[in-house]
Amino acid sequence: MSLKAPPSPAPGRGRAGGGPRRPTSRRSGLARLGPLPWIAPVILLILAVVVWPVIELIRTSFLNISIAGIVRGNAGSDKYKKLFEETDFASVLLWTVLWTVVVVSVTMLLSLALAQLFNQRFPGRRITRWALIAPWAASVLMTAIGFKWMLNQTAGVLNTVMLDLGIIDKSRDWLGSPGTAWPWMMAVAIFVSLPFTTYTLLAGLQTIPHDVYEAATIDGAGSWQTYTGITLPMLRPAFLVGVVINLINVFNSFPIIWAMTQGGPGYDTSTSMVFMYKLKETDIGESAAMSVVNFAMVVVLVLIFLKVSRWNEED
Amino acid sequence: MNRRAVAVGAATLAMALGVTACGGDSGGGDSKTIKLVAADYGDKASNASKIYWKDVAKDFEKSNKGYKVDVQVINWNEIDKSVKNMIQAGNQPDLLQTGGYADKVADDLLYKADDVLSAKTRKNLIPSFAEAGEVDGTQYGIPWVSSSRVLFYNKKVYEKAGIKSPPKTWDELAEAAKKIKSSKAADTPYALPLGPEETQGETMMWELGNGGGYTDDGGKYTLDSKQNVETFEWLKKNLVKPGLTYSNPASTDRKTAFADFAAGKVGMLNGHPSLIQMAKDGKVDYGVTTIPGKDGPLKSTLGVADWMMAFKDGGADKEGVKKFLDFTYSKKMLKFDEMYNLMPVTQDTLEEMQGNGKHKDLEPLFKELPNAKFYPLGDPAWDVVSAEMKKTGGKAATEDPKKVLGDLQKKAEEAAKSK
Repeated sequence: MSLKAPPSPAPGRGRAGGGPRRPTSRRSGLARLGPLPWIAPVILLILAVVVWPVIELIRTSFLNISIAGIVRGNAGSDKYKKLFEETDFASVLLWTVLWTVVVVSVTMLLSLALAQLFNQRFPGRRITRWALIAPWAASVLMTAIGFKWMLNQTAGVLNTVMLDLGIIDKSRDWLGSPGTAWPWMMAVAIFVSLPFTTYTLLAGLQTIPHDVYEAATIDGAGSWQTYTGITLPMLRPAFLVGVVINLINVFNSFPIIWAMTQGGPGYDTSTSMVFMYKLKETDIGESAAMSVVNFAMVVVLVLIFLKVSRWNEED
Repeated sequence: MNRRAVAVGAATLAMALGVTACGGDSGGGDSKTIKLVAADYGDKASNASKIYWKDVAKDFEKSNKGYKVDVQVINWNEIDKSVKNMIQAGNQPDLLQTGGYADKVADDLLYKADDVLSAKTRKNLIPSFAEAGEVDGTQYGIPWVSSSRVLFYNKKVYEKAGIKSPPKTWDELAEAAKKIKSSKAADTPYALPLGPEETQGETMMWELGNGGGYTDDGGKYTLDSKQNVETFEWLKKNLVKPGLTYSNPASTDRKTAFADFAAGKVGMLNGHPSLIQMAKDGKVDYGVTTIPGKDGPLKSTLGVADWMMAFKDGGADKEGVKKFLDFTYSKKMLKFDEMYNLMPVTQDTLEEMQGNGKHKDLEPLFKELPNAKFYPLGDPAWDVVSAEMKKTGGKAATEDPKKVLGDLQKKAEEAAKSK
């Protein structure tokens, strides 16, 4: 976990000012360009696949595009106005926040426990570790479609099982109404986020040196004390990485919701990402405006998070 | 590492948001090659529309030396998106066969029907359909196939529930549904599919029953008219709340309803010709009747037509396109209609199908066709309005109809303004 990652042109750049300054020499030729010739291809690639689409996206959000796909000229800020006036805009944003917070926090908590478990020695550990990869290795879309059918009102195996166990008295259309669809989709999102997060935390756990624990034992620390006093603080870098990546992933998550409810009925189970996709069917410009808002939200989200967690002061 | 995580995240995000790649030109754009994009009506490999179009292309090429027809068949879920991409990439087809046309007229992309059809072919079109292809009095859309909607009911279910005759009014329908529910003759007494697949269809069939509809005589949208709001209040109160239909109609698609009917799990529902074959395959003994209205059967039911249209900038010469359309419309209509049990749009095919005795099961639907009412197809804003209805319209049956329809009306007015 090196902290000396190269400064990137990403939005997180604001904090990148403190990089090591190299002494400038007065040599001529290629050397004068410093590392530029070596990193130029990467920079070009980033310009092409990161910066250009963002510019194009922002440009599109100011265009008036007909439903047939013809550009009809400049729309000014109309599309943003239209977007903010959508009846469902506020509730979509609220659900996006809830979705992200619930999925990420439950994922982190469960992963902490799982990582702890997998860090112990027990027979069959290798197999269980492999098994944990399964939800990760399977396509998210496939997993979501699988759950959709398992929850199907008439043919779904989960309905049958719950019916047989007496948990419900008649089979239900779980994904048809937002009240039951959200929890199920969150459960699926957590299910597919667990492997990555657990492995990140597990890697973190394994970097904690043994002698620290030995010292703690000698000093007579109990297991809970050891956990809160040693494991958690030392796990912090890995934990933060897990949170940040999950935040972005879950916020951007599209396939689970799309496969399970298509964001419906109406926009009742849409996050802003699904909302953006659905807007595309009627107005590409408005959809692009939503994308810009999404993009801004992710950037802000990450910046706030980094600020709050004072990420660069950990040691 | 954290910083890298941010960079990786940002990069992933940006890529996820990136523009969709546009399809490149598909080679041969010379004036003798007619590029046709069509929707797939088939539901299995053996009846894919590709088979039909390949055959048409082959026969056309044989009798018109020098021409080549390049066929691309796309499924219904993808076709509009694909065409949009083609248009954006400046790679328009010469001919397109899909569900709507008026949005393309608004962007001045299409030939007038007069330009690409011979007088004979044009006269052969059933007038009501030809009219439905008009935008402001000029025909652009060329009807391709049609269907009318009727109420299907499961005879066995009716028998078990003790229903003597199919309903003629809404109240009779609710009564029948109640009987089906109390006798447990079917899981879903009346199937009300208001999910995104065809919200605009089911909605109109009900609204017509209350003297409502999508536009007034002047062509202005009236989505939240008193009659329409009443219609949904009735549905909500009499079918949805008492559990006489799906518990979440707004997220139930038509294909689910059709499949359930074919599986014998539905008492009755509004359907179109494809359901005939599905019911037969599922060995469901069904009956059909005119869709009930509030006070009596509908005088005019919903008629639906799919469309053929010719693009100006497709690259092929206009004469070739005209030849191909004349050929297809004069020689190959019957084959398509019979292949999918759909209803014709040309007079000679209609006569043939009504006369040859092979289509007894379609007769009740033929009867409804002359009086059928259409969506406001000729309005360039209709495609937007219809897409909006598909997204949120179904909620009118479970939430406040006035609010849901009012929102849609506002969107429709906006779309009409910017067309």
